[in-house]
Amino acid sequence: MKISKKIVLIGHFGVGKSSLIRRFVEDTFSEDYKVTIGVHVLKKEVNLPKTNDDITLVIWDLEGNDDITNTRASYLMGTNGFIYVFDMTRPATYEKLEFDLDYITDRYPKIPLRVIGNKKDLVTNDFIKQNKDVFGRFVDFYTSAKSGKNVEDVFSNLAQALIKDATK
Amino acid sequence: MLEKYKKEYSQSVNQYIIVDFDGIVKESDDIIFKDLVGQNIANVHPFFESVHSALQDIDQTHVFSCIHLTNPKNETIITDIIVKTFDGKQLPMIVILDLTIHYNNYQTTAQVRNESVINSQILELKNNYLQEKEAFKNAFIANFSHELRDPLTGILTFSDILKKTNLNVEQLNYLKVIDSSSNYLKQLIEDILDISKIEAGRLELVINPFNLRELLEDIEKVFKVKAQQKGIELITNFNDNLPAIVGGDTLRLRQVLSNLLENAIKFTEVGTVTFNVSLNQIRAQKANVHFQIKDTGIGMEKDHLEDIFTSFSQINSSQVHNKGAGLGLAISKHLVSLSNSVINVDSTPGEGSTFSTNINFKLDFNYKIKKKKKETVSKPKSDKKYSILLVEDSEITQLSILKILASKGNYFLDIVTRGEDVIPRIENSEFDLVLMDIKLPNSYGDEITKLIRQMPEREHKKVPVIALTARVFKDDLKRYKKAGINDVIKKPFDEEALISKIEEYLK
Repeated sequence: MKISKKIVLIGHFGVGKSSLIRRFVEDTFSEDYKVTIGVHVLKKEVNLPKTNDDITLVIWDLEGNDDITNTRASYLMGTNGFIYVFDMTRPATYEKLEFDLDYITDRYPKIPLRVIGNKKDLVTNDFIKQNKDVFGRFVDFYTSAKSGKNVEDVFSNLAQALIKDATK
Repeated sequence: MLEKYKKEYSQSVNQYIIVDFDGIVKESDDIIFKDLVGQNIANVHPFFESVHSALQDIDQTHVFSCIHLTNPKNETIITDIIVKTFDGKQLPMIVILDLTIHYNNYQTTAQVRNESVINSQILELKNNYLQEKEAFKNAFIANFSHELRDPLTGILTFSDILKKTNLNVEQLNYLKVIDSSSNYLKQLIEDILDISKIEAGRLELVINPFNLRELLEDIEKVFKVKAQQKGIELITNFNDNLPAIVGGDTLRLRQVLSNLLENAIKFTEVGTVTFNVSLNQIRAQKANVHFQIKDTGIGMEKDHLEDIFTSFSQINSSQVHNKGAGLGLAISKHLVSLSNSVINVDSTPGEGSTFSTNINFKLDFNYKIKKKKKETVSKPKSDKKYSILLVEDSEITQLSILKILASKGNYFLDIVTRGEDVIPRIENSEFDLVLMDIKLPNSYGDEITKLIRQMPEREHKKVPVIALTARVFKDDLKRYKKAGINDVIKKPFDEEALISKIEEYLK
């Protein structure tokens, strides 16, 4: 059975959402920062080797917003899975992490959500340990769109959860 | 005519598409995407795949703004898309509005705004990081210098004690080297601490009335000797119209002038160093005094003039075999800047340098100079034995004080090393004075003093307490006073500093 699911990437601007998607879909990376306005929608067929399931991920790359309450409701319509991304090098992008995550889970309580601390290539493991009060509580994956670290795993992990939901 | 023009020039950028409930295109006007009829709209772009389920809705209008699509020419177009459904029988409609030009303008604005926000956040983080690094450096320097003081006190004290023993000429010469090295080290620690205080913004001037001429003559005496020792001449010109009593920080003024004179003598091998002081003007109860120190030394290239005021910078270090970390001028520059003034320098290689500054001093005709405390304090009776409690964990300092007091012959010294032993010891004895280290294992001398001041017996709680410490920032001194500490002996100290302070408080 072929399944198609909508995944939305959400978070402040400049945290690397578009770069993560580009790394996942095209396996490329660019240092140049180009602001996303509105939405880019991309698609990738994924095979999950453990279960040999095929899934089409339709990925919505939303424009960054420092206030999650300003996200346009139409963008989130019909979402099957969320990926919340923040930039570990810029506290402004994770200072309101708990509020932002509550905002999503309150409105979409049954939708799987994965939280990503991105730009791992720019921070040390010690830095992550020092911030474990924030990061340790919420973060599912530490990624680097630049090196590709954990990027595939985030999408596979979420895809697995979506397959599980679909076959319930 | 209008209809003709419209036909000729109007170019529609909106595409209307009718689809069935499964997404199969029934009608389309082919404005953007061509030949859609018969195709499933989900295959046109992934966007439509994810809104496919909305086609089943009843009587809904979904508006999606700023959606990026790829047109058949493989160009990105930015659109608003409306998905409108009706009563479940009438087929849904999709409208694609091409607003690429409008959104591209917005893209440029958003790019500039976001980049500016991100850059300012990064800058703020870098700034915080640098401040933390600076604070760490200053704390490290302060602590490290503090740790150096105890061993240095030991060296200075025992060097003094050794001097009083029977030494031959050769041994005395060796001792002179130890003495001068220790004093240099002591000065270096003071300078490093000053730099760390300046960089932490904790250095403030202490304004008190003082006799300017006396200070200048005092400095003259010291540096005349130094100049003579080097075979050069120190010429001084202190104008007669200089005000006698002025308000200023005498300690820091002495430091600045001494640094400049030291520097001038250091870099002058032949000729003279001239020290000129004159009055510029008196206005609004302030005297503006001009200080100039001119030498006939090696001079400097113009390019180097800025660098000489930087910490740890010594331009001519390769040419002159002199000690110095290059801190003196950096400190002087900061000290002068605290008076809102600057040090000017003019120099010619091979001819010499001239340093000058103008400093404002307060003038208040009610100024009276306090007589030095020493003169008013009667010396303790030489036949009386005094009992002193030393609270100190450093063995070197214990031994130094023990030796100094033992050499005087009229002191009994009792030593405790732990804070918790102080009160029981005082309860069981009668001390004439307590010498109190501030940083003890697990406790602080000022906190212990508070406990002493709360003791029930008058003779216990009134005992003079003198702190022995290197921590003498303004805040520290306030804290000591508040805790009931009578006075402070700054580490490293020598015999004279210790004895004179003790004698001041003994009856």
